[in-house]
Amino acid sequence: MTELTAPTIPETPALSRKWVVLGGRVLLAVSLLLAWEIGARSFGTIFFAPPLAVLARIGELAASGKLVQDIAATLRVSALGFVIACFAGVLLPFLLRRSPRVTDAVEPYIMATMGIPKYALAPWLILWFGIGDAPKLVVVVLMVFYIVFITTFAGIRAVDQRLINMARIAGASEMVISREIIWKSLLPFFFTGLKVALPRAVSATIVGEFLVASEGIGHYIEHSRQVSDTVGVFAGIVIATTLVLAINAVVNVIERRALSWRPVEREMEL
Amino acid sequence: MGEPPLLEIKDLGKRFPARAGREPPPWVIQGLSFAVRPGEFLTIIGPSGAGKSTLLNMIAQIDTVTAGEIVFDGQAVDAHDPRTLRPGVDRRIGYVTQDDNLLPWRTTIDNVLFPIEVQGRLNDETKAHAEMLVRAVGLAGYERYYPHELSGGMRKRAALIRTLAYDPPMILMDEPFGAVDAQTRMQLQADLLKLWELGRKTIIFVTHDITEAIALGDRALVLSRQPARIAAEHAIPIPRPRNVQDIFALEGFAAIYERIRAAIQ
Repeated sequence: MTELTAPTIPETPALSRKWVVLGGRVLLAVSLLLAWEIGARSFGTIFFAPPLAVLARIGELAASGKLVQDIAATLRVSALGFVIACFAGVLLPFLLRRSPRVTDAVEPYIMATMGIPKYALAPWLILWFGIGDAPKLVVVVLMVFYIVFITTFAGIRAVDQRLINMARIAGASEMVISREIIWKSLLPFFFTGLKVALPRAVSATIVGEFLVASEGIGHYIEHSRQVSDTVGVFAGIVIATTLVLAINAVVNVIERRALSWRPVEREMEL
Repeated sequence: MGEPPLLEIKDLGKRFPARAGREPPPWVIQGLSFAVRPGEFLTIIGPSGAGKSTLLNMIAQIDTVTAGEIVFDGQAVDAHDPRTLRPGVDRRIGYVTQDDNLLPWRTTIDNVLFPIEVQGRLNDETKAHAEMLVRAVGLAGYERYYPHELSGGMRKRAALIRTLAYDPPMILMDEPFGAVDAQTRMQLQADLLKLWELGRKTIIFVTHDITEAIALGDRALVLSRQPARIAAEHAIPIPRPRNVQDIFALEGFAAIYERIRAAIQ
């Protein structure tokens, strides 16, 4: 046996790479803010609210308690719609899995209804449900349902049949196979669907609030527009974006826990 | 020889359904018959693509039979219709496939315990038995590793003891040591024989490797090319316990090897 020598890897320490990435990010953020400020100065404050004024407005909103109230209103509709849609979007593919014939019969209708622009339904939904949370909720549910349904369905189709056979031979019931094999295999698909659907759930709520609402981030943006308060419009957009990013961060943490077994590069995460 | 066979294959045939607008494909298996005694280690040798996996899939009841009959433990199994298939016939037929089929989201020990868990038999005794098997095949220390963190040989061992752990009376093995290097393969064969000596289960072990078939089996069947039938049968009177490392040097090995090789051609 010859003695093993350590392989010589060219020295680019992970630490310096990390700093380069971080520096790049900070640089980009600064230039974006700068562009924003320049935009405000050259187009006038009716079209572009200056960043500091927006920040100050968010501070005022937070101090008055309106920030929490609006976020809570938007979050209430988005979250409830999101949960209902996820539940249906996951359950339906599991039920359809049991009967290929029903699947074949139902699939074209699901695909066709997916093509309906959901916002186009809003006036009709207001006719039906009035101006409470209900019409917004329906739009959110429809928005999220198709995304979760399609990703779950694709996930079920991608399950390795050999694993299912192994479980059947070992004596697993269909219920156990659904829970232990199919659900676990489609989790990566499910989380992809969640991340695509989340910003849409919030968007759908905000658009709904443009039309019918007395509170919520969308209502604040639309109200500010009506009184030509551009700073308010921008503050609303910043609050909505921050909200989506915050929810996304929470989903990322849950995903990392649920899929901790996966041999993925941490930096590949979206 | 007086005891009734545990498994009887009678005039078995298999052809896969034709795709729309095409000629029906040829028979993969036709007129195949053999029987396995309880406690016997039967090896089946056949060229690649001879329908070996298809045969085991039919016995395990994850694939349907086109013609003939399978009698398991005195009962004819109805395997013509996919809806009446009973995979693993009430947990009495274990199946170690070519691919390890470990669940990637479960650790070694949780993979080994998976069948016991889904059968609702998880208790201190079954756990202790599984842990004993983990140690017996040298996986101690790797219990908390995920499959992608294990070597190919370790994964094979984990898949093997996953089936042994729940103790089915008959185990089918489909080239389980196919994709590993010669050194590891020999170690796996030795492990298998050691485990078999402990329990003496009925094993049907499919391989394309003549040496492996002789080293492990009490009896070796040779399959013909498509459609697969039994081309020859050879008793392997090499005494046990056997040492796979020097199986070549044993008296009788060369003669059996020559006879089987001749039958394959």
